[in-house]
Amino acid sequence: MIGDSGLDSQSDRARIFSIVIVVVLGLLMARLVQLQVINTSEYTGESRDNSMRELRVLPARGAVMDRNGIVLVDNQPAFSVRVTPRYFDPNSLPLLAELLEVNEEVLVERLRQASEFREYLPSILLNGVPFDRLSRMLERIDDLKGVDYEATQKRRYPSPVRASHALGYVREIGGDELTQRQSSGYRPGDLIGQRGIERIYEQDLRGRMGSDFRLVNVHGQDVSSFRKGVEDVDPVPGRDLILTLDADLQALAESLFVNKRGAAVAIDPSTGEILSLVSKPDFDLDQFTRQITSQQWAGLNASVSKPLFNRATQSVQMPGSTWKPLIAMIALQEGVITPEETVHCAGYHPMGRGKFFRCMHVHGDISVVRAIQESCNTFFFEMMRRLDVNAFARHARQLGFGQTTDTDITEQQAGLIPDSSYFNRTHGRWTVGYQMNIGVGQGELGVTPFQMARYVAAVATEGLVVTPHLIKASVDPETGALEAPDVPPPTPLDIRAEYVGLAKEAMRRVMVNGTGRGVQIPGIESGGKTGTAQNPRGRDDSVFIMFAPFENPQIAVAVMVENAGFGGSAAAPIASLMAEQYITGAISREWLVSRMLETRSDPLPEPKTSVEIRDATGD
Amino acid sequence: MRRWYQTLDYVTILLWLTLVAFGLVAIYSTTHSPAAEFLPLSVRQNYYRQFMWVGISTFGILIALLLPVRFYQKTAYLAYAASILFLLAALVFGREINGAKSWITFGPMSLQVSELAKVGTILGVSQLVASRRGTQSDLRFAVTMIAMVMLPAMLVVLQNDAGTALVFVGLIPVLLFWSGVPYLVLLLLLAPAVAGYLSVVSVPWAIAFSIAFGLLIWWQTQDRKLGLIGVAVSGGTVAAVALALLKVLQPHQVARIMSFTDPSAQEYRYGVGFHLVQSLAAIGSGGLTGKGFMQGTQTQGRYVPEQSTDFVFSVIGEEFGFIGSALVLIVFAVLLTRLIRMGRQMKHPFGMMVAAGAAGVYLIHIVVNVGMATAVLPVIGIPLPFISYGGSALLAHTGILAVALALHMRRDDLSIYGFYT
Repeated sequence: MIGDSGLDSQSDRARIFSIVIVVVLGLLMARLVQLQVINTSEYTGESRDNSMRELRVLPARGAVMDRNGIVLVDNQPAFSVRVTPRYFDPNSLPLLAELLEVNEEVLVERLRQASEFREYLPSILLNGVPFDRLSRMLERIDDLKGVDYEATQKRRYPSPVRASHALGYVREIGGDELTQRQSSGYRPGDLIGQRGIERIYEQDLRGRMGSDFRLVNVHGQDVSSFRKGVEDVDPVPGRDLILTLDADLQALAESLFVNKRGAAVAIDPSTGEILSLVSKPDFDLDQFTRQITSQQWAGLNASVSKPLFNRATQSVQMPGSTWKPLIAMIALQEGVITPEETVHCAGYHPMGRGKFFRCMHVHGDISVVRAIQESCNTFFFEMMRRLDVNAFARHARQLGFGQTTDTDITEQQAGLIPDSSYFNRTHGRWTVGYQMNIGVGQGELGVTPFQMARYVAAVATEGLVVTPHLIKASVDPETGALEAPDVPPPTPLDIRAEYVGLAKEAMRRVMVNGTGRGVQIPGIESGGKTGTAQNPRGRDDSVFIMFAPFENPQIAVAVMVENAGFGGSAAAPIASLMAEQYITGAISREWLVSRMLETRSDPLPEPKTSVEIRDATGD
Repeated sequence: MRRWYQTLDYVTILLWLTLVAFGLVAIYSTTHSPAAEFLPLSVRQNYYRQFMWVGISTFGILIALLLPVRFYQKTAYLAYAASILFLLAALVFGREINGAKSWITFGPMSLQVSELAKVGTILGVSQLVASRRGTQSDLRFAVTMIAMVMLPAMLVVLQNDAGTALVFVGLIPVLLFWSGVPYLVLLLLLAPAVAGYLSVVSVPWAIAFSIAFGLLIWWQTQDRKLGLIGVAVSGGTVAAVALALLKVLQPHQVARIMSFTDPSAQEYRYGVGFHLVQSLAAIGSGGLTGKGFMQGTQTQGRYVPEQSTDFVFSVIGEEFGFIGSALVLIVFAVLLTRLIRMGRQMKHPFGMMVAAGAAGVYLIHIVVNVGMATAVLPVIGIPLPFISYGGSALLAHTGILAVALALHMRRDDLSIYGFYT
């Protein structure tokens, strides 16, 4: 057997041996092709996850100031406790919970999220840890492997202004939002604006997180920069925002709403800058800088007075008589009446034989200006009878009614401006009687204080429709240069200035010797209109719209107070005091302030069920 | 008569130098980057120690080239006997490093005698082949040869170094093949190895292989009995491996063998599988061109355990990419085939056997080592020749090569003995 091998056979075997060597090493090379050429991206990801740590450089979140530079929101130092799940021993959770004085379940949940996010990276376990608790934790840090902390910031509200709904707050990002925004650099425990300015201008305020990528070895020691730092990202500081709000005006308006529910919106009529945005009751923004408990959160959500609800932009109600100047302008523009033409008021409108369309007085023959001044219902029932409901709707929508406005307030309701298709849809068969109530701001009609302010501004400027907005400028963090927002320019109203001027003049007369004469600003001529809107849930809502001064108006205000009765009693003084504060910088009528502090909304009935469900547009 | 410098194979020396240089570069990278400040001082000195061993090995080559052919033949059995003695001595007096009691200390140096025993064993077996007379029975010759290999292998097993022992066992088919065992016998010897490997990876494939192997034998020999023997031999291995994995071996041993089939599985991930997961991540993330010298994140972060010794290939794979690691394999392929060619040129059984033995030893090391680092074979801790850190292995591997070089250089002296006289 073995002996049959000669030289030839030996060279055969040499060839076979060589072939075996080449084939075997070739197979290994094929494996290398598989690992290093075909599947390399998979392993690249794995090796990065292993050895790369991201040290994030947190820029300060931008501050928020009022139009005069008064700081409304800035930052203060805080501490966040972090955990790296891979190195954390879950058995030390009870100790950690005890030291941080939080519920263990909170930590369990956060730890679970952190593990899902990334095992090897530190994630924030708890934000806003006070220094004393942090020190206590650090004393036991040897028993808490995988736990560390970072110095962060939390929001601070140094001014007396609350402006809860306008400013909004920041909360920890979570759930789906985190998943969506992970690619933009958000990590568990990061703060993100949730409402108001904080939400709309999140990107500006947040800036961009910087990242230092570090190489760590198998023992978790920081070894060097990762890939010589080519992937590092420099942080971009957040932008400071200058708002259009006037802190003094806002503070005054908030104080005047004590014991009342309602809203006030004041804008600069020629620019649309929102000078004040009040919605009461409101909530304390500062509570969101602490770890808000679920009870607090449930309380805010379940409260019958709905503090989270932004009444200024979301509360939809009937405008009452404040609607009459608008109807007058539309009627004039549409030619259903002339400035001199009169309508006879016998104390009711003849349609429905005086049962349904009643007036407060017998006005006799009355023309348009006097009809506004004396708030004659009959006149405006008649105007709406004469008007094509679609023409009315077109004009109302041009002023922003019946729709939301594209601006830096996201929480808005559209309200309701009916047209023929609306009536067809809701009633099928309908007559002109259905639309006549609209003439006096009642019936199937819904507006928000925000929309009303814009309408007053249009009257004050004799036909300019502005876009109300909250931002005046943002500050470039490097150069300090101010950058103005991209606000659409005012558009002219489709109503002749002459007719708007008539409505404006009528509103002046309201203040001189009409229902607004009790709230005239001493020494400053103004225009206004009271309204009393039916509220299906109790006493009427008090409504007032106003602008001042009469010539070159600087401020347009809409105020609504829920369940407070006649417009002149609750809403009008607030509007008047706000206008005076803004124009003169002071209040001359302390007696009126005191009276307002005593005026209150009727208390809401205790809810029968825990959650009250209302039709958003129907109330 | 050709002069010595005309017959010396410079290419082989160049290939050896290339591989040694690869090793030094890889070891330098693991010990001299900024990341090295976290290493213990003794580890940081590894590069210099390896450099010193390269010096010693070079000196060894020079000495080997000076010695006459006769010297090797006369001392071949002596070297074998000395190897056995050293292995026994290590068992009695030896020092235990990493669980293997195979180290003997000479003054400042520690030598792993199981590595050096490879040289003695190859020389001994080569001399056995060379001194074979035509009258001797084949079977007796084969049994003697196997016994000569198995004796050191058993001693190494006793030293608790199964990996190195496997190299000796793997040498048997190579030596038998080279000394002219019929292909059929060789196939019957190799089939269990393939069947055993397949039964770890996938039992159905192992069974399919056993049947196919039996059919192949039957078809080739037209002898049904031989076919059945083929099925029995490989099928028996499958059964034995399955039995060992299920009943005999401890769970940690099973994990060690099985982990390469799915290194990232939960049950392996933090055990043996960790080596493989990290090694794969290192090699795979190297991509085509690598992350650059001293830029490998896996290497610098020391994620691959034993990265300068058994897993040195992962360092090359990560930092020099496919180009670097493929180059290493190509250099190996050239070196090995060149050794075979040198063997043929010597035209003498002793020289041929030394050259083939060297190629066989290297091939087993390369396949097992690279197969382990790329997770196609179980984790068996043996070094990559000339590249892995470790003086004994470098010295031993260079020693075999040096003898082959010396014999080849003086092949004219060999030829007077003729072939099988």
